[in-house]
Amino acid sequence: MSYVLAKSQNEDIHKAGECGGAVTSILKYLLDEEIVDGVLAISPCDDVYDGIPTFVTNSEDLMKTAGSYHCAPTMIGDLVQKYLYDKKVAVTAKPCDMRAIEELIIRHKINKDNIYVIGLNCGGTVPPVAGRKMIDLFYEADPDDVVSEEIDKGQFIIELADGSEEAVKIHDLENEGYGRRTNCQRCDVKIPRKANIACGNWGAEDGWTFIEINDEKGQEMIDGAKKAGILETKNPADPAVEGRKKVEGIMIKMANKIQDKMYPTVNEMDDWNRCISCYACRDVCPICWCYENCELNKPFFKDEQNVPPTPIAFQGVRLSHMSFSCVDCGQCDDVCPMDIPVSLIFDKLQKKYYNRTGYVAGVSDDVKPPLYSPEKTEL
Amino acid sequence: MLEIKHTLCPSCSVGCGINVVLNDGEIVGTFPYKRHPVNAGKNCLNGRNSIDCYKNKFGDVDVDGLIADVSKELNSASDVTVICSGNSGVSEIEAIKEFAESKGYNIGFYADNLKNYDEVASYDDVENAKNVFVIGDLLYENPLIGRRIVHAKQNGAKIFAFVDAEASVTFNIADECFNDSVVEFLDVAKDNVDESSVLIFNQIDSVDDLDKIDALDCKLLPVFSKSNSKGALSLLEPKSKDEMFELLDNTKVLLVFNDDIADELEYDFSKISKIISFAPCENKTTEISDIVVPIKTWLEKDGSFVNAMGETQSFNAAIESDDLSEIEVIEKLNG
Repeated sequence: MSYVLAKSQNEDIHKAGECGGAVTSILKYLLDEEIVDGVLAISPCDDVYDGIPTFVTNSEDLMKTAGSYHCAPTMIGDLVQKYLYDKKVAVTAKPCDMRAIEELIIRHKINKDNIYVIGLNCGGTVPPVAGRKMIDLFYEADPDDVVSEEIDKGQFIIELADGSEEAVKIHDLENEGYGRRTNCQRCDVKIPRKANIACGNWGAEDGWTFIEINDEKGQEMIDGAKKAGILETKNPADPAVEGRKKVEGIMIKMANKIQDKMYPTVNEMDDWNRCISCYACRDVCPICWCYENCELNKPFFKDEQNVPPTPIAFQGVRLSHMSFSCVDCGQCDDVCPMDIPVSLIFDKLQKKYYNRTGYVAGVSDDVKPPLYSPEKTEL
Repeated sequence: MLEIKHTLCPSCSVGCGINVVLNDGEIVGTFPYKRHPVNAGKNCLNGRNSIDCYKNKFGDVDVDGLIADVSKELNSASDVTVICSGNSGVSEIEAIKEFAESKGYNIGFYADNLKNYDEVASYDDVENAKNVFVIGDLLYENPLIGRRIVHAKQNGAKIFAFVDAEASVTFNIADECFNDSVVEFLDVAKDNVDESSVLIFNQIDSVDDLDKIDALDCKLLPVFSKSNSKGALSLLEPKSKDEMFELLDNTKVLLVFNDDIADELEYDFSKISKIISFAPCENKTTEISDIVVPIKTWLEKDGSFVNAMGETQSFNAAIESDDLSEIEVIEKLNG
């Protein structure tokens, strides 16, 4: 592992990108040199709250993916495995994206040789609809006037069209039930170290991106982008490295405190009582990949004639099957029509599994998934 | 090439947003539309399966030949009834209505035995109500309204539920449950409503229940089974189930625009001499039709739906198609 500070040598990218545009420049290098067929990144659709995964094959289109979108709690792992398996792709990945990608790599659902992962350090994401309401309630601004947003130094900061900024402490917002998604609040993986490189502003000087280079492929990406004349780098000073480490440590400590507070609050059976067996949580889960072969589709688990569904027949079986591999991405919470805190239930069990085995899904170096059995390969 | 595009869910009248995934020009899946204010990225199973309609589209046929056949049938026909439904968008319903009226055809529009209310409760009203009265298993059948009922409960509301079954998901969260009759339930509602109360219903026992509902001094939110029933209700007078049967009894030629009336009404359709369907994919009505003209799915055209709370939402075509829309069919029929 090594560190560099980096910024774009391309003036337009430097202006449009976050922290000097290093990420966009590396993506441009990978596309222009035809190292990848395309780039999967987030770009705003209708507004800054509407970030959607966008597949870019022409580097001129990369500008629309520049910038950070905290109100875009998307997941890209399943898109890569479902639709881009045979392509060489570069992706930008939050820690939960990376954890999902890693779990899919060890399940042979993503080809590690085909994927270039530019990790993004993450302090959390905000649900778009609740995020707009939050700005309406706690800021002196119209949510429609927000042109960009940022999470920095414990604050959620918005920038308005007139160039002015407003900031509110995330802690205060979360005390009122707003702020980051609940899974993000308790997430203790802030830097995606399984990515080839992990980028962010922690420890960086203004206008520069702090990059942690995690493997040989990551080093090649940095060296290649420099050689192509699109990226400038320099070594970070020791205090910058220490500062970054300190930020990460504080955020993990806060997340652990929130975990201790949240885990006892969930009552599985009460929450499952609302389950309508719509399978949205299973279908969106980036780690669940069996699809039509899923055991829960078998007649003995189908209880369509049985309304209300028996929670243990779906939720219980899925929990026993998947909780060890939960990467706490919160997608299941996001899509549950009944607002069941699915990820809290799964993450709570994953932590118990971690306490017994030391396995953290998508982070540990194990080459086999948890509870691996040879029969699984028949699926 | 992988693309994600916004659209609306066509499964019921709640008006959820949904993203569709296109890969190499084909629609291959759905993806959560988290920015959409109605459902914030949450979709029920029906919503996520709604693209099956596109996947199971009729294959290539000689559409001009079929339109010629339809025109021939209509030239000599009497007692023609046009079935119009909330599956069509606002402008399409306008076109179908104009077509039927210009030709002197009857219009059959069925909206779940329910009717139009000019003033309806908003989804926020549901969340902020102190008492919520629910007729039907809304949590199971219209989950994204059901979610608002769950929020109301979490905000301290008392939930009263009528479901004509012994158990339901809605019963699981209700404070008081009823399953004898809607009339009995409405009597309980009458004694418990206040100005913040909302009555949400997706079914009734009979049209007489509507008079009792009208007499309640609270906000109402009828939830329909089709995406644009509310929009259609502002253009067309709905018929009750009995009125639909009477109309069908007097029909010799039935033109069904984008609807599956045979699945919806238990009627002996063999009594009708000719059934002509305009539909994007197979359904029970197309199975019994004499002529079936393939039309575009909602994914292949621009349009708008009015959701249960009366909000008009527009959508754009997610993918191009050579098939005809309802409007294009009518233009061809009009010559």
